[in-house]
Amino acid sequence: MRESDTFKKLTRLILEEERQAREQLENRVEVIDQNLNEREKLEPRIAPILNDQVIFLQKKFPELFGPAITASIKNQIKDSKDEVVEALYPIMGKMIKKYILKEIELLSERIDKKIDAAFSLDNWIMFLKAKFLGIKQGDMMLKGAMDPVIQEVFIVEQFSGMLIGSYSRITSVDQDMVAGMLTAIKSFAKETFSVGDQELETIEYENYKIVIKNFPKFYIAVIISGIISKAFLDKLDDIILDFVNKIINQRSEKADGDFIEEEFSENLNNYFIKLKKYD
Amino acid sequence: MISKKVVLIGKYGVGKTSLIQQFVHQRFSEKYLTTIGVKIDKKTVNINGTELNMLIWDIAGESTNTKIPKSYHLGAHGAIYVFDLSRPFTYENIVTELNNLKKLISNVPIQVVGNKLDLLDEKNASQIINSLPLEVSFLTSAKTGNNVEPLFQSMAKALLK
Ligand SMILES: Nc1nc2c(ncn2[C@@H]2O[C@H](COP(=O)(O)OP(=O)(O)O)[C@@H](O)[C@H]2O)c(=O)[nH]1
Ligand SMILES: [Mg+2]
Repeated sequence: MRESDTFKKLTRLILEEERQAREQLENRVEVIDQNLNEREKLEPRIAPILNDQVIFLQKKFPELFGPAITASIKNQIKDSKDEVVEALYPIMGKMIKKYILKEIELLSERIDKKIDAAFSLDNWIMFLKAKFLGIKQGDMMLKGAMDPVIQEVFIVEQFSGMLIGSYSRITSVDQDMVAGMLTAIKSFAKETFSVGDQELETIEYENYKIVIKNFPKFYIAVIISGIISKAFLDKLDDIILDFVNKIINQRSEKADGDFIEEEFSENLNNYFIKLKKYD
Repeated sequence: MISKKVVLIGKYGVGKTSLIQQFVHQRFSEKYLTTIGVKIDKKTVNINGTELNMLIWDIAGESTNTKIPKSYHLGAHGAIYVFDLSRPFTYENIVTELNNLKKLISNVPIQVVGNKLDLLDEKNASQIINSLPLEVSFLTSAKTGNNVEPLFQSMAKALLK
């Protein structure tokens, strides 16, 4: 019996050791399992490795895939050279032009801001005079070429798109049709993209900017070329509001009937000639 | 000069664009192009010594992908509803559609036009218009130009009344 007792003890000891070992192993497996299956735990461990891979790929991308891609593009271009040139040429031209205009616009806005902050109006004028007297002729010419110019002004009835009045420096397009299309674009933009009562306020069209001011029965669209600064837009706002108050609103009080195009157009001319001189 | 807005409506492919092209440029084009679901053309007509600018809004039919703003119809002084004589589905719901239109623009002249007359013989055409619960103002062919000018002339006269 004693012998068997000892044996039992012994087996228990041995088994116990094994049990503990197994338990440890199980725990370990559990941890690994968790690490693998729970994203949050796995991520920090794998991220550095993936990161290294991404960096590696980024660094090596040109080396690894570059030749194949280049070859394929080269072939395509070779096969259709004319098409490529034809397609790229106008886009590049426009892009460059637009980019430069945009940059100058930003610059002029920054200058506006600085001037606003640093000078009172009187000082500003003096500052400009002094500057301009010392400025090189070439720069003056460049600036002149980029000045904002009001090309056209349209007063258009909301929704119907009927032209109520217009001012134009150059009459190259059919104003009735432009008024209609602008209205359609406005309606389309409103119904497609906008939330609530938001309205289209500017449209960039090649190197022109179309500024739109909405009123309940009509809207006024001003087509401007050149570089448009915040100061210019402020001035434009003032003139439009003044025009609406003095010319359009007063008339609607007098007569409730149809707008008469000629009447507004004549007045528009007087108003926007002022803006033409604005510098 | 007097200007009036006329909207052309009707299902996709019935020939609205082609009718306008016949009237405005006097030629027939197979091309069809739309971005915002509308195109505006202009034609000046002279009705007994009075000049009239017709601004014709060519509004795309509803089976195009673009969503057509209802506001395109607003403020129209006249409307031309076009259907395709050769495809019944383009005139099946004509009464409902005209009623919907009248909710957007009321008290303006509306003309109902059966187009593609060249694809049918006279007997078939008269059968179709007799089967419709309303009066068809004109039967046209944008392809041959048949009746296109009279259609717009009559609209112009109605606009001046
Ligand atoms: N045979 C024939 N085809 C026409 C006529 N009018 C239009 N089409 C054709 O029908 C198709 C749709 O015309 P389109 O004017 O674009 O229809 P819209 O969607 O109503 O503007 C085009 O392929 C036209 O060439 C017509 O009077 N006769
Ligand atoms: Mg069409």
